[in-house]
Amino acid sequence: MRIDTCYFCSSKIYPGHGVHFVRNDCKIFKFCRGKCHKAFKKKKNPRKVAWTKAYRKAHGKELTIDPSFEFEKRRNVPVKYNRDTWQKAIGAIKKVTEIKQRRENHFVMERLRKGREVEIQMDVKDVQRNMSLIRSPAAGLKERRAKEEAEEAALMDEDLPEEKITYVDARELEKKLEEGLGEGDLEMLES
Amino acid sequence: MGMVQKRKKMHYGDTHLQRRWRVRNRRRDLDQIDDDLRTRSGELINQNVDLDKPGFAQFYCVHCAKYFIDDRSMQAHFRTKVHKRRLKALEMEPYSIEESERAAGRGSFQMPKKRVIETQPSKDEVKAGKRIKVEEKPEEDKPMDEDAPTTSAKQTRKKPKKMAT
Repeated sequence: MRIDTCYFCSSKIYPGHGVHFVRNDCKIFKFCRGKCHKAFKKKKNPRKVAWTKAYRKAHGKELTIDPSFEFEKRRNVPVKYNRDTWQKAIGAIKKVTEIKQRRENHFVMERLRKGREVEIQMDVKDVQRNMSLIRSPAAGLKERRAKEEAEEAALMDEDLPEEKITYVDARELEKKLEEGLGEGDLEMLES
Repeated sequence: MGMVQKRKKMHYGDTHLQRRWRVRNRRRDLDQIDDDLRTRSGELINQNVDLDKPGFAQFYCVHCAKYFIDDRSMQAHFRTKVHKRRLKALEMEPYSIEESERAAGRGSFQMPKKRVIETQPSKDEVKAGKRIKVEEKPEEDKPMDEDAPTTSAKQTRKKPKKMAT
């Protein structure tokens, strides 16, 4: 019994399921179900369709490079039947699948852990940005105002004994300046 | 009776699409074209006269697997969106049966590579010995550069909204 892989979604094709399409250059495309066959006819790229294995691997959702993937492969080398090797192979398959499963699960959990960190960072940012929703900006406003007023009053007390400003009429000032200039000119002539 | 005997259709269906997807309407697939580009671009551009083909098979676009009736129409095709879209589609290594098996866990998965694809050389250049080359794109930090402007663009887009509110 041969279990094929789907061209589109890379799932298993058990006997009696799916469709084979033979292109006019003798290449055989196997599909597990109508969904995959239709997608192929529509010339969809499996790498860009999110539910395929190719997408998941190409986008780093699943473990891609690992020695545990090297056991199961199309080798195109005929092996003569031998009861001993058969039994050993069955035992090995179980062990390999177990190890593979564990590694894949580990990879996925590591990937999700990263997401958790990002989530926490986002939460912190969110709180900082929307602080006004948690603590009203008006909270403690009265006390702050009272404090400010008290400080101002203290400042005013300090400021009061400063030099007084004397106000001068603008015209008088102009006249004075003109006279001053005239004196200056005379002095210049004398010199 | 004077009544309309035709059944009123509630759904227009996808018959027109099914017809388009029929096997007889199939054109060359991307992986076949990729093979053409790498192995037999020269002979495809410089084909023998075939009276059954459009333009006697003298004007062939390898990337789009299409015959044209004269050089003028072919040059016009090179400037079209259809052709440019095809060049873009060929930039990535085409998907293959082997890749589907690797994705299923038979051997380590290899990331598809990006290549440099350009419009084919003219006939005279091909006669002089030029062929279509499919070279791998040298790796750059492009995704980082692409990310930066998009994020900044988003921010700039968001900012005026905030100002308005």
